[in-house]
Amino acid sequence: MTRGNDNGRGPHPDVIAGIVLVLLSAVGFWLTTGFREVPAMLSQNVPPTFFPRLVLGLIAAGGIGLVAGGLRAPRLQLSLLRPLVFVTAGFVVLVPFAIMLLGTLATVFFVSLGLPLLWNERRLRFVVPLALGMPGAVYLVFSVALEVRFPTGLVATLFG
Amino acid sequence: MGLPGLEFAAAVFTDPTVIGLIVVGTLVGVVVGALPGLSSSMAVALLLPFSLYLDPIPSIAFLAALYCAGTFGGSITAILINAPGAPPAAATAFDGYPMAQKGEAGRALGTATIASVTGGTISVLVLLFAAPLLARVAYSFGPPEYFALAVLGLSMLATISGEARLKNLVGGCLGLLIATIGIDLTTGVDRFTFGVPELLDGIHFIPVLIGLFAVTELLTQAQHLGRKTRVVTLAALKLPSLADIRGVFATILRSSGIGTFIGILPAEGSTVAAMIGYNEAKRWSKRPEHFGKGAIDGVAGPEAANNAATGGAMVPTLALGIPGSATAAVILGGLQVQGLRPGPFLFEEQPALLYGIFFAMLFANALFLIIGLIGAKVFSRLSLVPPALLWPSVLVLCFVGAYGLEQSMVDVWVMIVAGVFGLALKRYGFAAAPIVMGLVLGGLVETSLAQSMIIFDQQWSGFLGRPIALVFFILALGGIAGAPAMQLLRALRAR
Repeated sequence: MTRGNDNGRGPHPDVIAGIVLVLLSAVGFWLTTGFREVPAMLSQNVPPTFFPRLVLGLIAAGGIGLVAGGLRAPRLQLSLLRPLVFVTAGFVVLVPFAIMLLGTLATVFFVSLGLPLLWNERRLRFVVPLALGMPGAVYLVFSVALEVRFPTGLVATLFG
Repeated sequence: MGLPGLEFAAAVFTDPTVIGLIVVGTLVGVVVGALPGLSSSMAVALLLPFSLYLDPIPSIAFLAALYCAGTFGGSITAILINAPGAPPAAATAFDGYPMAQKGEAGRALGTATIASVTGGTISVLVLLFAAPLLARVAYSFGPPEYFALAVLGLSMLATISGEARLKNLVGGCLGLLIATIGIDLTTGVDRFTFGVPELLDGIHFIPVLIGLFAVTELLTQAQHLGRKTRVVTLAALKLPSLADIRGVFATILRSSGIGTFIGILPAEGSTVAAMIGYNEAKRWSKRPEHFGKGAIDGVAGPEAANNAATGGAMVPTLALGIPGSATAAVILGGLQVQGLRPGPFLFEEQPALLYGIFFAMLFANALFLIIGLIGAKVFSRLSLVPPALLWPSVLVLCFVGAYGLEQSMVDVWVMIVAGVFGLALKRYGFAAAPIVMGLVLGGLVETSLAQSMIIFDQQWSGFLGRPIALVFFILALGGIAGAPAMQLLRALRAR
C-alpha cells in the first residue's frame, strides 16, 4: 500500500511525512507550554513536561531525518486511494452515531447488512443470515454471557 | 533434570475451563491465521477485551494459545493461495506455493505443521528454562537498568526492517507520546487531555490496538477489494513421508534455534525469524537452486523459525516486561490490565500463572499438530470466504471489543481515530507494531527515566556509573547506528 509509481511530480512521501512530524512536534511542544506548573519539590525536579518534550524532540529529529532522506531519494508518488476506502471510512465513522441513535443491536444488524452491500456483495442468501445472526450472537455472547451493557440508543429511550 | 514448574502444570491440565479455552484459542488462532488480512496480533488485540472477563490464568493461556496457533495458521493460505495469512508466513509462500502448484500441497502443509510444532515446542522448552534465569538476573535491575533495557527494546525496532529503520523508531516514539496522555502520576498534572474528562486516565491501549490492527486492515481491504486469488485444490491430502521429515530435520532444528534466539531479542518477531530461517535453510542446502521452485526445506525453515520465535518472544516479555514481538506486546498489555506487573517479581508472586502460560503454549503446540494434520483440508476452505462477508464480522467485533472494555463510547472513538490514522501512517510506510511497542512500554520508560533522574540528581552522566545500563545503551546504539555506519564504511571503501 505504501508503494507507488516512480513518476511522482510532487515531493517524496517521506518529505511530506517528515514535515507533518515536525509540525506535530511543534504543536505538541506548544501544548506542553500550557501544562500546569508544579513546584520543583512536588515534581522532584522532573516536571510533567520533561518526558513529553524529550519524545517530541526525538519525533522532530526523526521527521527532519525523513525529510533529508526523502530529498535525496528518487521520486515516488503514492498510488491513489480508491473511493471505496473513503466511503468505508465514512461508514465506520457513522457507526458510533448509529449506536447512540438506534442502539447497539440494531446498529450491528445494519453494519452486517450495509458493509457487504457497500462492498458489492449481492448474494443475499449469505448477507441476510449474517445480518440477522450477528445481533443475536452479540446479544448472547456479550450481553448475556459477559454482561456487557450496550447503549440502547435514543430511539429505544423515546419509545421504550 | 526435570521440567521446571511441573507442579503448576496441574492447574492447566486439570481445569476443564483452561483446557477448553486453549482448544478454542488454538482453533480460533489457526482460523484467524489462515484468513488473509487477519493476523495473530489482530486476533489477540480483538479478543483481549473479552479475555479480561476471565481469571488471569485462563485469560492469558487463551491468548498464548491464540498467538502460537495464529502464527502457524498463516502458512495454510501461504501454501494454498500464495497469500500469507499473516506476515510471518510470507517466507513460507516462496516454496510452499510452488509445491502446491506441483500437486504437493498436502506434503507442504504437513511439513509446515511438523516444522511449526517442533519449532514451537523447542522454543517453549527454552522459555521454561531461560525465562526464570533471565528473571533472576533482572532482580538486580534498578530504574536506570530498566530504562536502558526499554530503550534497547525500542532501538531494536530499527533493525526489524532496514528500509523503514527511521520510521520504526519514529513510530515507537509516537507510541511513547500517546502513552503520556492523561494525568502525570508524579505531579497530578493532566497532559494532552483537551478538557475531555475520559482522557484523564490516559488512552487505554486496547482501543488503539484494535484501531491500528483491525480498523486499519479493514480500510486496507477496501483498497484491495476485488483481487482474485487462485486456490489450489487439495484433491488428495498426501502428507510428507518419513523420508521427507528425515531430510528436513536438520533444517527444522537449525531454524528452531534461530527462531528462538531472534524471538528472545526485544521487538524482533516471527517475521524476521522466518526470513532468516528461510535464508539459512537455503544457505545450508545442498540444492539451493531448488529454492523458490518448491523446495521442501524452503517450507520447513521459515515455519520452524517463525513458530520458535513465539516462545522466544515470551522470554523477555515475561521475565523483563519488555515485549519480544508485537503480539507479545499485546499479551503484555493484557497482563498489565489484569493488574499484574510482568518482570522478574512475577516469577516470585505468580509462579502458577507463568508456568500456566508455558504449559498452555506447550499444549497449544501439541494441539495444532493434530489440527494441522487432520484439518488442513477444512481450513484451506477458509480462504474462500469473501472479504465482504468476513470483514463486517470483524468490524462488529472491533466496536464491541473497544466498547466492552470500559463500556465507554470514548474508547470507540479512540479506536476509530487510531484506525484512520493507522491507514495514513501505513500509506507513508509506518508500521503499527512499533507504535504498539511504544504505547505498551510508555509507562515503564517514563517512570524509570523519571526515577533515574531523581536518583542521579538530574545528571544524565549518572547512567555512566551503571555498567549494565551502559551495556544496554551501547547495544541500543549499535542497533540504531550499526547498519548505517556499515553502509557508510562500505561507501567510503568503494570510493
